[in-house]
Amino acid sequence: MEKKLWWKLLCVPILIYVIVVGLSTPLSPGITSMSQYTAVTGQTFTARVTTYNTFHTKAKEVKARLRKDTSLTIAAQNVKVLDDNNIEVTFSIPAFMPSSKEQERFSLDVDNDFDGYGTLPGKFIIKQNNIDSLKGAQVWQNTNFGDLSERGTNFPFRGLLFETIRNTFFHVPLWFGMLFLFIGATWNSFMYLRTQDQDRDRRAEVMTMVGLVFGLLGIVTGMIWAKSTWGTYWTWNEIKLNMTAIALLIYFAYFVLRNAFDDLEKRARIAAVYNMFAFVAALILINVIPRMTDSLHPGSGGNPAFGSEDMDNTLRMVFYPAIIGWTLLGFWIATIYYRTLNIEEKYLEQE
Amino acid sequence: MNTFQEIWFLFRKELTLEFRQKYAISGILLYVFSTIFVVYTSTFDAGPKQWNILFWIIVLFASVNTAAKSFVQESGTRQLYYYSLVNPVAIIISKMLYNTLLLLALNFLAYGVFSLVLGSPVRDLQLFFIAIFLASLGFSITFTFISAISSKADNSASLMAILGFPIVIPIVMELVKVSQNALPGTFDSAINEDIMILLAIDLMLGGAALMLFPFLWRD
Repeated sequence: MEKKLWWKLLCVPILIYVIVVGLSTPLSPGITSMSQYTAVTGQTFTARVTTYNTFHTKAKEVKARLRKDTSLTIAAQNVKVLDDNNIEVTFSIPAFMPSSKEQERFSLDVDNDFDGYGTLPGKFIIKQNNIDSLKGAQVWQNTNFGDLSERGTNFPFRGLLFETIRNTFFHVPLWFGMLFLFIGATWNSFMYLRTQDQDRDRRAEVMTMVGLVFGLLGIVTGMIWAKSTWGTYWTWNEIKLNMTAIALLIYFAYFVLRNAFDDLEKRARIAAVYNMFAFVAALILINVIPRMTDSLHPGSGGNPAFGSEDMDNTLRMVFYPAIIGWTLLGFWIATIYYRTLNIEEKYLEQE
Repeated sequence: MNTFQEIWFLFRKELTLEFRQKYAISGILLYVFSTIFVVYTSTFDAGPKQWNILFWIIVLFASVNTAAKSFVQESGTRQLYYYSLVNPVAIIISKMLYNTLLLLALNFLAYGVFSLVLGSPVRDLQLFFIAIFLASLGFSITFTFISAISSKADNSASLMAILGFPIVIPIVMELVKVSQNALPGTFDSAINEDIMILLAIDLMLGGAALMLFPFLWRD
């Protein structure tokens, strides 16, 4: 397997695709802030809206609306373009809402024909002083906004994340790569115990080594990501960071254990046993406990990774190849390391 | 002789050895008493949280020291004799059972001394005893197996700590969480789930240890 070329050649275009498409695809237009987030029924107000990655001056028409799910909509009376990233919207809220609650959360959509549409989900609150849902149903008229403009293939805009959403193609697949390498190492350890073949032990060693490097890279990319979104490189309250750090410690101990033995057969056997035990422990650390605890990571409290609302199809088009690409690269590095060790051993035998 | 009988005989052998030498148990008792005494004399003002953490740290180190002796106490040749007589799985199970029992006694004793000296803030005694039981089981399984690995190396004591502590951390974290709930100040209604997780971790590690041990003993 390690001498065959096709999967190594496959990994190169995949990773080039991941890097080029992953870094060059623009983000969808998004809304970063509004000058006011609350309004009262019956009020007419003008708010300044700051958008991201938009070219309002190039668009023929800029439209804006407030929307609660799809049931309640109200279009802006007037939209004034200040510059590419700033507009002023004027809304006139009807005197009554068809709702029996004191306040309702609305999303703001801004649409123009040049960029497509952007959304600020659920941030805008309309309070009502006089609650009368029946009257509201008469007064409130959903304005027909027409179809939203096409956005083209863009990555989704997420508040807080901005452009760092591209780290999805590095941080997450590196963890996947690490997991696959550890699975490979565990398989080889298992095969060593069955066959007593030193070659299997060497494979397990190199895969664990590269898996460890991938895990460290996963932590480093995660720290950079955390700095720009959470504002700190490391937080001790975050269960996933601590658990993965401990999981990597377990695998560091694997190499300490290897160095404790001089006898090759004994080293291989005990390292194989420990490697399989470590895999079970690491699975508990990475996959069981983080699911049970709240986390700052997306899909926290039950779901270890991105939920369906965090990923969309344009991200997936790069994300899945990224997993395959990084995993193949990991195994490629492992085979090179493996062959280096083999050559080293032959060289030592000749001396 | 079937495996159950073997386990029973080996377990009795461990107990007899212990009662004859009284080496492990008295050493560990001294350790527990002196650490608790140090904590007491430092006039440390422990709230329930600090009390909890301190208790588990003392129990953790006492457990490491207890279980580390599992495979170094008897000489290599005598162990070879056992392996030629019985199923290796019976050996590890009997050692785990024996360690569980020993740790159970030790931990309850530590709790007794601890609450005598520092006072006991425990509100829900039943839950706390469940935590102690699961702790004894988990520590015994992990440390017995790790001591089997590290006893193969020359400096087994330091290897024991390097290999054992990272693996045991998830158990300790869950333990602190469960036992915290037995103290005043915190209440988590989903604590049964945590107990199940703890039990599941113990069983997973135990299963892996039982499957792997037969490959380990040969020298």
